[in-house]
Amino acid sequence: MMIKVEKLKKTFGENEVLKDINLDVEKQEVVVVIGPSGSGKSTLLRCINQLETITSGHVFIEGTDISDKNANINKIREDVGMVFQQFNLFPHMTVLDNIMLAPTKVKKVNKDKAKMKAMDLLGKVGLAEKADAYPDSLSGGQKQRIAIARALAMEPKMMLFDEPTSALDPEMVGEVLDVMKQLAEDGMTMVVVTHEMGFAREVGDRVVFMDGGYIVEENEPKKLFEQPQEERTKAFLSKVL
Amino acid sequence: MGVNPLDIIREYLPFLASGTLFTIGFSLGGIIFGTILGLFICFGKRIRNKLLRAPFVCYITFFRGTPLYVQILIIHFGLVPLIFHQSNGILAGVIALSLNEAAYIAEVFRAGIQSIDEGQTEAARSLGMDRFQAMRYVILPQAVRRVLPPMGNEFISLIKDSSLIAAIAAPELTYWAQAMGAQYAIVWTPYLTISFIYLILTLTMSYLVNRLERRMATK
Ligand SMILES: Nc1ncnc2c1ncn2[C@@H]1O[C@H](COP(=O)(O)OP(=O)(O)OP(=O)(O)O)[C@@H](O)[C@H]1O
Ligand SMILES: [Mg+2]
Repeated sequence: MMIKVEKLKKTFGENEVLKDINLDVEKQEVVVVIGPSGSGKSTLLRCINQLETITSGHVFIEGTDISDKNANINKIREDVGMVFQQFNLFPHMTVLDNIMLAPTKVKKVNKDKAKMKAMDLLGKVGLAEKADAYPDSLSGGQKQRIAIARALAMEPKMMLFDEPTSALDPEMVGEVLDVMKQLAEDGMTMVVVTHEMGFAREVGDRVVFMDGGYIVEENEPKKLFEQPQEERTKAFLSKVL
Repeated sequence: MGVNPLDIIREYLPFLASGTLFTIGFSLGGIIFGTILGLFICFGKRIRNKLLRAPFVCYITFFRGTPLYVQILIIHFGLVPLIFHQSNGILAGVIALSLNEAAYIAEVFRAGIQSIDEGQTEAARSLGMDRFQAMRYVILPQAVRRVLPPMGNEFISLIKDSSLIAAIAAPELTYWAQAMGAQYAIVWTPYLTISFIYLILTLTMSYLVNRLERRMATK
């Protein structure tokens, strides 16, 4: 089991955003999380790598309870890559430095090796010629592909994606989804929050529908989209499909 | 009216020259120590624990909320004699300017760090960096660029404010202008002369900061 979420609760002040979340993600599985705005999808992802502290319950990463005070969260995060809606590239560094920073500073990989790895990843996301460019000069789709390469440079065992294509112009969505699809085919364990139902159907092993801080329903993509069991799932799908 | 102003300036030239050097020295001292201490205080103020943070908050409140002139008097007549058992205008001047500057620099830095998007820290942390690494490699380099203009303003203020330490007989520019004015009972010549010199110093500072800004922007 790569990720195990157990009775997870998260509150912001009075507002209980995650009410009782239980979720297992197997090795090499691609889990797609869908649901209306404000249902807690981002919060769930952010709890999985402790960008938000958990109010109660547990999150296990490869069996390690990350909410445990003794857990080395920095070490665990090395194994859990994250891709954000807003890319969050480091604007003061070139693309290459963006990708090399964490491997060289956190893992102490030597520069030549890190650079080779970075160039290799840039090739994989189709942006080798942008190595020396600064993020500001790139399109949204290119930025997001760089952000994915940056996360992959740490050689994570699993990746979290929070609406990676929501900030993109429509014509750039495809290039990012293609990279993610390739990643899934290569066997990466992924949790993807997205509104791209086509991607969910094609790439997802399982789709999780969240609403109001609960996981309302989860199933194989085909079954969930074609035979939703819960009223709330039906209502949501009728709006987005 | 008998004496030619140019003759007076010529007579005082060595003192004006050394006064200028002292003014530059006080300013540089204040800038260097003030910036180092200011950074430290800025991080102190970011501590989450209220009790540990309190001294830094008090420090900033005191040094920004009271007149620099009063701080100079306290340090010259109180602090320096207390520690070194004798007064020393030069030492007191450097200490006062540095401590005062640090409070302002701390606030400038705090604002700079706060202006960097939260997503930058989150991206850094999600890559496995600890708080220190995220600050050092991701947040500070961006913040430094952003605080350069307000820092430049603080430095220029500091050059001008250093004239206040004439009051404790530190031999900088304003001190010698006062001496000149007193000896010959004149006003315009000494104060216009040092105004001119201060202008050169502040304009040079703003030129340097501007250049640095441009260099960092193109990088
Ligand atoms: N840092 C925070 N402080 C307070 N409330 C928050 C915080 N982050 C999220 N929330 C609240 O938690 C709820 C769920 O937010 P979340 O971002 O997880 O939803 P989401 O499902 O990702 O929505 P979207 O599709 O709009 O991204 C919202 O009501 C939001 O206002
Ligand atoms: Mg969200």
